[in-house]
Amino acid sequence: MKLIIGGYAQGKLDFALSNYHLPNHRVWDGVLPDNISFQEKVEDGIFIINHFHLWVKNRMLEGGCPEEEIFFFLEHCKDCIIISDEIGNGIVPIDPLERDYRERVGRILIQLAQKAEEVWRVMCGIGQKIKG
Amino acid sequence: MMVLIIGGSGSGKSAYAEEVTVSLYRQNISSKEKPPATKKYYLATMQVYDEEGQRRVNRHKVLRSGKGFLTIEQPMSIEKALAKMEPGNHVALLECISNLTANEMFNQEKMASELQIIENVINGIAILKEKTAHLVVVSNNVFEDGAVYDKAAMEYIHAMGIINQRLAVLAEQVVEVTAGIPIHIK
Repeated sequence: MKLIIGGYAQGKLDFALSNYHLPNHRVWDGVLPDNISFQEKVEDGIFIINHFHLWVKNRMLEGGCPEEEIFFFLEHCKDCIIISDEIGNGIVPIDPLERDYRERVGRILIQLAQKAEEVWRVMCGIGQKIKG
Repeated sequence: MMVLIIGGSGSGKSAYAEEVTVSLYRQNISSKEKPPATKKYYLATMQVYDEEGQRRVNRHKVLRSGKGFLTIEQPMSIEKALAKMEPGNHVALLECISNLTANEMFNQEKMASELQIIENVINGIAILKEKTAHLVVVSNNVFEDGAVYDKAAMEYIHAMGIINQRLAVLAEQVVEVTAGIPIHIK
């Protein structure tokens, strides 16, 4: 698994596509592939999970456990690219849910970074390799 | 030596700062020229107002437990923490500048000017740096949410920016932490 992080609108997806030269890929936007898609995976190339932070937020709102779900997913899909905004670089939000969201995305990204073979940080469309 | 560690919420900056402090402490006790009276102090700045604050403090206590830190609560006038230390050549971890600055800015009966607050914080840290063997300072990246807040909050963000810049000048090392990964920027 490769992890790509950075601020909003920094060109993370474009960076991923050009950096890894991926003719065969599928972008899942703010969702994780379901079971059927897993099985199609082999012919269909690599999964890219874009806007991963939004998936975390949705799962929180739906009462899920993103921490467990993402690692369960990664057990079945080791070869994928996860792209997430960094959302913790601001003022502590007044809304407790927003505070919790920020904190949880940060902690999940730490765990993903530990698991990832490579971690890239993208700014102005330029990737900086910070792990691997 | 002074190390400045900066990161956002949930970036892993605290865990990294503890690692650095413990490693500086080990260096310090193994170096022969230094007197042996070395302790590891944790300078805590957070004031607890509610259950969530208490949970935060507890999480950090668990993170620190077993590492031999002595905790000093010093929410304002950070240089006063020195008077609470035993005599000796210590290693200190200060966490964090965002709380300290907020306390200096919003908890005073009479609100001081932004400039005065910046001076208070920087002078306090400079004194700590001088009187300790090693000082590790944790600060926050509060600058990248793109939001516009009220005047007081914008003044706070601005003060934090200036303080971070000046701390980076004081520090021999500056490290940004993101997703638990340290990036050395000075």
